[in-house]
Amino acid sequence: MNVRRIRLARLQMRLMARVGPFRWAVRAVRELAGWRGWEQPLLRWAVLALALPLVWLVISTPLTETQQFAFGAVSFASALFLRKLPGRYVTQMLIFLSLVASTRYLYWRVTETMNFDSWSNAFFGSGLFLAELYAWVVLVLGFIQTAWPLERKPVPMSEDLTEWPTVDILIPTYNEPLSVVRNTVFAALAIDWPKDKINVYILDDGRREEFRLFAEEAGVNHVTRNDNKHAKAGNINAALERVNGEYVAIFDCDHIPTRTFLQVVMGWFARDSKLAMLQTPHHFFSPDPFEKNLGTFRSVPNEGELFYGLVQDGNDLWNATFFCGSCAVIKRSVLDEVGGIAVETVTEDAHTALKIHRRGYTTAYLAIPQAAGFATESLGGHVGQRIRWARGMAQIFRTDNPLLGPGLKLTQRLCYANAMLHFFYGLPRLVFLTAPLAYLVFGSQVIQASAITIAMFALPHLLHANLTNSRMQGEFRHSFWAEVYESVLAWYILRPTLVAVINPKLGKFNVTDKGGMNASVYFDWDMAKPYIILMGLSLLGFAAGIFRVFYVPNTDGDTIALNLLWTVYNLMMLGASIAVANEARQVRTSHRVAMKIPGTVRTLGGRSFVCTTTDYSDGGVGVSFPAVPDLEQGQVVKFALFRGDEEYEFDAEISLLRGESAGLKFQTMSTEQSINFVQATFARADSWVVWGDKRKLDKPLASLKEIATLSLSGMSVLARAFSHSLTSRLSPGSPAQPKISAAHAANASK
Amino acid sequence: MVIFSVVSAKGGVGKTTVAANLAMAFSAGRNVVTMDLDPQNALRLHLGVAAGEIEGLGRATLEGRSWSSCMFRAAGGPYVLPYGNLNEGDRDAFEVHLSSHPNWLLDGLTELGLGDQDLVVIDTPPGPSLYQQQVLRIAQFVLVVIHADPASYATLPAMESILAKYCNSRPSFLGAAYLLNNVPAGSALARDVVKVVRADLKERLVPTVIHQDEAVKEALAFDQLVLEYAPHSEAARDIGKVASWLAAQLVPAFRAKKVMQP
Repeated sequence: MNVRRIRLARLQMRLMARVGPFRWAVRAVRELAGWRGWEQPLLRWAVLALALPLVWLVISTPLTETQQFAFGAVSFASALFLRKLPGRYVTQMLIFLSLVASTRYLYWRVTETMNFDSWSNAFFGSGLFLAELYAWVVLVLGFIQTAWPLERKPVPMSEDLTEWPTVDILIPTYNEPLSVVRNTVFAALAIDWPKDKINVYILDDGRREEFRLFAEEAGVNHVTRNDNKHAKAGNINAALERVNGEYVAIFDCDHIPTRTFLQVVMGWFARDSKLAMLQTPHHFFSPDPFEKNLGTFRSVPNEGELFYGLVQDGNDLWNATFFCGSCAVIKRSVLDEVGGIAVETVTEDAHTALKIHRRGYTTAYLAIPQAAGFATESLGGHVGQRIRWARGMAQIFRTDNPLLGPGLKLTQRLCYANAMLHFFYGLPRLVFLTAPLAYLVFGSQVIQASAITIAMFALPHLLHANLTNSRMQGEFRHSFWAEVYESVLAWYILRPTLVAVINPKLGKFNVTDKGGMNASVYFDWDMAKPYIILMGLSLLGFAAGIFRVFYVPNTDGDTIALNLLWTVYNLMMLGASIAVANEARQVRTSHRVAMKIPGTVRTLGGRSFVCTTTDYSDGGVGVSFPAVPDLEQGQVVKFALFRGDEEYEFDAEISLLRGESAGLKFQTMSTEQSINFVQATFARADSWVVWGDKRKLDKPLASLKEIATLSLSGMSVLARAFSHSLTSRLSPGSPAQPKISAAHAANASK
Repeated sequence: MVIFSVVSAKGGVGKTTVAANLAMAFSAGRNVVTMDLDPQNALRLHLGVAAGEIEGLGRATLEGRSWSSCMFRAAGGPYVLPYGNLNEGDRDAFEVHLSSHPNWLLDGLTELGLGDQDLVVIDTPPGPSLYQQQVLRIAQFVLVVIHADPASYATLPAMESILAKYCNSRPSFLGAAYLLNNVPAGSALARDVVKVVRADLKERLVPTVIHQDEAVKEALAFDQLVLEYAPHSEAARDIGKVASWLAAQLVPAFRAKKVMQP
């Protein structure tokens, strides 16, 4: 033990010694970047004018295979060294190296590798090139967007309560069950804000009597309208005619705010008089279908975390934070000025923000989760939601293009453009997933160069991009996971985005269903169909490649190897996609939220046992005791939770008792008790502060290995599901496979 | 030596139990001497002194012996100076002695020769008394135990005036705090009283209340402290929290090294 520690310390010293001499370099970079002379725009332009031709020289100079190898090796070695140094200026240098490598690759592709000697070569070749061009544009825009995340901190509120503004809390709902909406309303009631300056409204587009009664009982307003025009946006706009606070806070009906929400976010409005909208992250306490079906909940950052962890914070620097429809506050006067929530597209939130920006107002992002909600349950639902986003963004791109029109700064235009272009990844992703087939099956030379040369140019481009992104995004997205997320969604968002670009009026709004329940483990055949087909094609291509090696004369071994390797990578992504379609079982009717808070179990006889909660839900709570408690299964007890000075007691039954842990089932709660429970649990100020704590850091190779493992399990699931469905079809006596998945996929793929 | 006393305006609020448990909790970090100035002589029962033991401060004083002759200590616990078993005549004589020797308590403690970092926890009889006067004249910190009921609430003004008379103007006095004890969890009345008391006393109310808990009574039946008998009960957790809050309040007293004169 000790020996190891000493060895570690020695190693550390040696490493320090190695970095130590370069500290001056880090400091010099910082000094240079912080130099006041840069404030002179003339100087900035002059330096740029001097630098650009040099950069162009690096990008465009033709090199032989060996020279290019040396260039790439030196460039990447520099990046590997820089990566060890801390600081954002070093990150900027890595971005620069990555831009040079990728642009050089693209330049080489345009000038030397395009092949138009046959129709098929021209078709496949330009197809692949366009996909690569798209990837390059998104890479560049992404670098700009996230170059320097603002990391805004909350501003304290004024001491004088009379200066605090009035706020309307709007909770739009359409068809979600009351059990989902209740908690949000209870938590909204608990928000710490002067009681005469806050009003809670349920905007019920379902016009349900049950909701009206509930609102009356809870003491909040129930607002309805006569039609459902423009869905959520129309719902909010209709309500705006009936409320008159200085600000509106909007929460999706399943996003439960914490009590501190307003006090944390409102300070910025007092500080910045141009501020029109402030967005906070959407945080989820239940796993999304990726996390659930792959078992990566809280260990691998989910699909949304890149956006809320990095992209929005990056947007904030450029005053381009988007409104995301929920967990945000908007200044009422500005909202009226832009004509309410935008109704022209199905992503009303981003479009509203765009209109706000066009008017010259600012928006802000505060990366502190101040609300949490349910993630979409099934893959079908998740895909449906993404389709809506993709369609909406494509609609905005078509009808109110951020690159054109008045009022925006160039950087704002680029941020919006990237947000929209990002959703066009469907086609390019499918191109990458099928590109090696062009050679393996059809023998088409899509890149006119030897495999070795391709590798010499492509590898620096890919390696630099991965390394730089891993440094910038690693905390919020692990390496190679973007490919997994895109592979799963590519097929599904392809059509809606293309349709929306051709005719933005087509397509309908679909509401994501939440709070559902998967009765059993099942394989979602309908959802998995595109991946299965792509996988079949890839396997076919692989076989064709092998066939080529042995039976087709004059086959270039290197090219075959390159394409086979690419196919293996694609197979890996497709296997992981298939694993996502294997829906894990969801047995509980209400979600369990993991959280450690102190509580007490009290027996009716007056004994007490202190405990800590392990998880809780609407229906019950799991607790762990410091020692085996003197309790019995089925015993009726009181369960106490604390919030600051307050204490709340609930009637419960010991439903499970195992050593030092127990499960408690609540008996029916009164409205007051329900409010108390939400306030003591979901709405606690510190609820979601530690969200990323348990996550592993990004290690690109480990990440690759993890995806490979998931992929293998996906393939074996597919094989089992396939043989199961075969046998159940062949033997009429056995029970038929229940067909549950059709409904899930209906709104997505049809 | 720092003197910490536990008082109450009315009986039956669990003052002795609180004093014994707090003394136990404090003794984890330092030498603690507990003194019982309540003629009920009950403190010793919590702290492992045999029920038949009649020795105590009263006898020692009347016989002119040093206090160390009546000091007990159970393994792992604080030192105990019981009141002792006195018949009525002896008690009258003892109280006469006290009224003629207003410095009896301070002299006796000084004679024990305690160190700078030692703590004396003194339990007193409920309501105003000679004993309470002696303690309040020299205590650096006073803990007033109350119930979360209207009767206890009504005693607050009287307690405040007693503190004003004996303590508040003394430079050696650090402060007083009120502790809500034996609070029934389900009672709406108790909850309301807690709110009112909190609003009145603000930071002079110990932030943690001690909940009503059967384990406290059961513990005494087994001649144990609840901290030992049911360490994972709510009352034990509450006492632990109260003890650490009080320990933080006492820090300045231990920093000021010299023995503070009344």
